[in-house]
Amino acid sequence: MLLLNYSQPLELSGIIESVDTFLRTNMSPGWATFVEGVIVCVAILALYCIIALALIYIERKITAFFQARLGPNRLGPYGVIQSIADMVKILIKEIIHINRSDKFLFYAAPFFVIVSSFLAFGVIPFGIDLQAIDFNIGVFFYTAASSIGIIGVLLAGWSSNNKYSMLGAMRSGAQFVSYELSAGFALMTIVVLSGTMQFSELVEGQRYCWNLFNGHISSIIAFIIFMISGHAETNRGPFDLPEAESELTAGYHTEYSGLTFGFFYLAEYLNMFIYCSIATTVFLGGWMPIQIPGLDALNEVMWYIPSYVWFFGKTGLLIFLSLWVRWSFPRLRIDHLLNLEWKYLLPINLVNLLVMVVIVLTDTSLAGLFPSLLATN
Amino acid sequence: MSFSKYISGIFKALKSLIGGMRETWKELWTKKVTMQYPENRKTLVISDRWRSELIMPHDENNEHACTACGICMMNCPNGTITVTPKMIETEDGKKKKILDTHIWNYGTCTFCNLCVITCPSNAIIFNNDFEGAVFNKSKLIHQLNHEGSKLREKKKEPVAVKTPTTTSSDSTATPATNKDEIISKVKENNSLTASVGGNDSTNVEKTVEQPKQTNNNKDKTNE
Amino acid sequence: MTDILIFILLAIVIVAFSILAVTSKHVIRSAVYLLFVLLGTAGLYLMLNYHFLFAVQIAVYAGGIMVLFIMAIFLTHQPGENVRKKTNWKIVSSSLLSITGIALCGYIIVKNINRIATFARGEEIDMQNIGMAMMGTEKYQYLLPFEVISVLLLACIVGAIMIARKDKEEEKHDHIKTRIEELKDKSENNKENKI
Repeated sequence: MLLLNYSQPLELSGIIESVDTFLRTNMSPGWATFVEGVIVCVAILALYCIIALALIYIERKITAFFQARLGPNRLGPYGVIQSIADMVKILIKEIIHINRSDKFLFYAAPFFVIVSSFLAFGVIPFGIDLQAIDFNIGVFFYTAASSIGIIGVLLAGWSSNNKYSMLGAMRSGAQFVSYELSAGFALMTIVVLSGTMQFSELVEGQRYCWNLFNGHISSIIAFIIFMISGHAETNRGPFDLPEAESELTAGYHTEYSGLTFGFFYLAEYLNMFIYCSIATTVFLGGWMPIQIPGLDALNEVMWYIPSYVWFFGKTGLLIFLSLWVRWSFPRLRIDHLLNLEWKYLLPINLVNLLVMVVIVLTDTSLAGLFPSLLATN
Repeated sequence: MSFSKYISGIFKALKSLIGGMRETWKELWTKKVTMQYPENRKTLVISDRWRSELIMPHDENNEHACTACGICMMNCPNGTITVTPKMIETEDGKKKKILDTHIWNYGTCTFCNLCVITCPSNAIIFNNDFEGAVFNKSKLIHQLNHEGSKLREKKKEPVAVKTPTTTSSDSTATPATNKDEIISKVKENNSLTASVGGNDSTNVEKTVEQPKQTNNNKDKTNE
Repeated sequence: MTDILIFILLAIVIVAFSILAVTSKHVIRSAVYLLFVLLGTAGLYLMLNYHFLFAVQIAVYAGGIMVLFIMAIFLTHQPGENVRKKTNWKIVSSSLLSITGIALCGYIIVKNINRIATFARGEEIDMQNIGMAMMGTEKYQYLLPFEVISVLLLACIVGAIMIARKDKEEEKHDHIKTRIEELKDKSENNKENKI
């Protein structure tokens, strides 16, 4: 452990530890825990907002490049302040009250969406010691937390008292409920492979061989299915029919303005980030740097790159992939969408789960086949 | 649906999806077509056919070709042009009608080009200096003839009145100074601008009678 | 101290929203209040360090059943309308039923309160233990009940499919029949008109 400390000068765990000891020495344990809780909350909220702003900028830029444009380029160098300006605009906009809408549900709906997004965001391991809470059932908790968001969408659509919002909400509900199933199964496949649901153990288990390669065929199928269903769950890409502009104006958030709309907007972008980071953690080794057994010098060098850089790098790669998909394919029709889930993804997923069980039982995963090269211990 | 069809369908779909993604990947690296306007002023090329601002070309002696016939004013569909002639006496004692002011309103012009087509002496043209935005509506009213300009004498070979070659540096630099001059003049002649609107109805009636004559004129000048 | 504070907070949330869920006149609002109750219960599980049940509560009740409730309410006729007032007999019978329920629950709680207090101070239960308990065949392992429940669910699904299919086909035939009749009528009318 001492060796690790020397070889990782840029890690944040030292700072976190010193803050912890400072608080513990100066306060009673109860208060120290409380203050630490507040600090963690504020840090996560700040990170949430910063990532959202960065994502919006990156998305607009990459979208523009895919469409042979330049994207935002007026505010600041290469337009980097654009999303901050947009944020200020959204903050100072008027929140419009809708007549004959259910006021309580109308204003409660955005909170469902954003709170579920926050909850899921809280369990992501960003790096060594950079995880708010390491649940025993981390993967399952992510599935559970992200499933609350859909209630907000449904309520938003219903309480707006607008038929387009309602249609958008119904589509969104059908889409989310069905694709959540295959996302859960895809994650379960990997849980079978790695034998744990805890994110820290998942990352540790992928030290020498990512889960994506460890379960070869089965893992890759699970990865593809997880990416597709994650796409659909976050209402993006070719699956953005709940907010199809040409048919439903803006779907469930048509009637929202100002900050209430901002919540939906923020949650949509962050959900993209969250599912990409879960995919990173579960399939691509999370914050673990690339390690090759035997080449200790290389491994040492890899550790010099801080773990959160690895994490955000891998996640960024997946986000780019998702944007690439988004700007390649046209929007699906609702019956095609449900066909894809119920007739293709779900049966394939179930078979895939069985295959994975067989792989684990017969010990034919990569780590099982080449224990000398890839085994963790 | 047979099982083999189901499986082959999946692979077909994957193949086509990857094909689509390859296309967009190529698009990602193509040169971007966006022109960044204020930065690219130096290299900006606006087509010669672009009609932007009506001008009356003057030669080096401050002479123009407008005979104050008023045909452009009559042909203008919405009374954008007001030509005010004045009578003077020439040295040989003849009375002669010459141009006093040629007022054109940028704000109401539809850039239909009828005035330029019908002008018998090719005195006015549209240039392609498109940066016409101003802060005050009254600045949109331009006087086209310069201060102290006069009619070009007949015996002179008419100077080629094609559109001045419009490399952008020219079009931004020179007309801007012209504009300032014109604006200052227009301010002096503010009383004239009031009459611009008033002439509308008569202009429209006259244009109906005119076209034949103007065509003839045009032919003559071409010869 | 903090434990008790959080417990009181959760208890207030659960009780208040339970009452609201029953007394609210809008169906959809009742559903949302019920959701808050379920989330509060999930909070109680979290307090007990029982993470698995916490996640199950959220995923199954909040994320699954409540979504279905709300979707079902959407599909009913005029979901925004107020609920009609019940008749006196219905009020009496339902209040009797609920009092019986409360009495039963209260009796069980009072009888077992000492035992529960000892159970509550447990360590976090490992996922693998839960899995073993659910999928094992030895003592204190529950594969059989688990499978029996799954058969029940399968029966439900098959039943639902049956109902859905039957309705659809009948409708189709009805539709075709009416269409044919319409066409017949039309042609007869046309003939008459021509004559």
